[in-house]
Amino acid sequence: MGKAYVITSGKGGVGKTTSTANIGTALAMMGKKVCLMDLDLGLRNLDVVLGLDNRIMYDIVDVADGRAKLAQALVKDKRFDDLLYLLPAAQNTDKDALNENQVMDIVEELKPEFDYVLIDCPAGIEQGFMNAIAGADSAIIVTTPEISAVRDADRVVGLLEQNPLQEQPQLIINRIRKHMMDDGSVMDIDEITHHLGVDLLGVIVDDDEVISTSNHGEPVVLDTDSLAGQGYRDIARRLEGESVPLMNLETETAKPGFWQRVTGWFKRS
Amino acid sequence: MEAAVLKGTQNGYELIFDDRAAMEDVFSTLEKLLDSLKTQTITSNKQISFDIMAGNRIITANDRQRLETVFANYDTFSIHKIVSDAITKEKAKSIKEQENVHVMARTIRNGQDVTVEGDVLFLGQIHQGGKLLVSGNIFVMGNVEGIIQAGFPNVENKFIIGDVRSAQQVRIGEQFAVMDDDMRAKINSRTIMYINDLHTLEFGELNELKQISPKFFNQIGGITNG
Repeated sequence: MGKAYVITSGKGGVGKTTSTANIGTALAMMGKKVCLMDLDLGLRNLDVVLGLDNRIMYDIVDVADGRAKLAQALVKDKRFDDLLYLLPAAQNTDKDALNENQVMDIVEELKPEFDYVLIDCPAGIEQGFMNAIAGADSAIIVTTPEISAVRDADRVVGLLEQNPLQEQPQLIINRIRKHMMDDGSVMDIDEITHHLGVDLLGVIVDDDEVISTSNHGEPVVLDTDSLAGQGYRDIARRLEGESVPLMNLETETAKPGFWQRVTGWFKRS
Repeated sequence: MEAAVLKGTQNGYELIFDDRAAMEDVFSTLEKLLDSLKTQTITSNKQISFDIMAGNRIITANDRQRLETVFANYDTFSIHKIVSDAITKEKAKSIKEQENVHVMARTIRNGQDVTVEGDVLFLGQIHQGGKLLVSGNIFVMGNVEGIIQAGFPNVENKFIIGDVRSAQQVRIGEQFAVMDDDMRAKINSRTIMYINDLHTLEFGELNELKQISPKFFNQIGGITNG
């Protein structure tokens, strides 16, 4: 029986979809069977980031309304044999086209088949958010060091406290610019984690590669040299229960050989 | 004992209801009683006002309304007050709440409004955008970055004591202060906030509390010297 994680943030544009695609891909690289579920109805992007947009036949609303079977709607990512699947969102409806029970049923149907079900939550805290958390066992909250993103993440943590999932939420701090944290112009990692009172799952540095790779439909985790990719691979290993120390932002450039060794080791596993 | 009995006291007339009788019996007896009383007092037009003693019975809003309709049939009779020795558990709880000092250690996050009856000793955290609305006084020992209000919604004789320099807004009753840099410069970690006689929010020092409000000072256990 797999576990369902919802990836959420409150605020838009902080990297929910990118994180979903990359964590899912990293887990598939580790040999786990993963289903990525896009719930951003009407504004779907997860298929584009994964480079699967041209293979969609049916979407989640078709499944919920009985127009297609779940297996028909799942899109397989051929790069990972039989490990990574996408359940696309509908593009021609809005967030109210689904309700909590329909999402819950679909997640329950997916969980026995997969090790991980990652639910990409739409921005906002309306029906789409409620749908996304309804089926999840745990939540991963994505924020950036900007005050507006942290404020919205705080709101989401509050909402998750009111509708508790089986497990405590975890936090990803995305788009970290080391020099801005150092000169104090943004909140640092400890401050954000302490303020939100949520366990830290991982940190992702701001990296141009994230955008350029996703423009090619290739998640950045596939790039072994990228620091952001490294961050996502670390997160995947932590989800698997390994204890991986937090990326040392100080020495990131000083010791490139170290990362080479880590990723080399990672590939063998 | 009859279901309803008339009794004269120094202060006027009392109607005593038997709290073990059925409410229907009380009403029928009451009507008979008032009818006979009406015939006896028909000559004088003097207004008579009754105190209704309900004993250990809760007079519901329905009962109250029905009593009023009964009395409306008689020109010269009216209800002065209804006294009941019983209160509902809910009411009792709310009275208890109002007198309690609630110790709160929770985190109030952005978008959450927490409403409390009574006083609060706050040890937790209020994040920006969170609100703590308290009907009584607030003693702050935790970290307030959101909005706190004492005397919610509109009671003015309440106090906020503690460090609120990092708050967004501080409110007492309907008065409020926005915590900008000017405001922060006026206060310290031992400031007390209250509403003065001119109905504006004022800041004082903790050691002046006795002068500002002797009543509140005694209520929270202050001991006057000598």
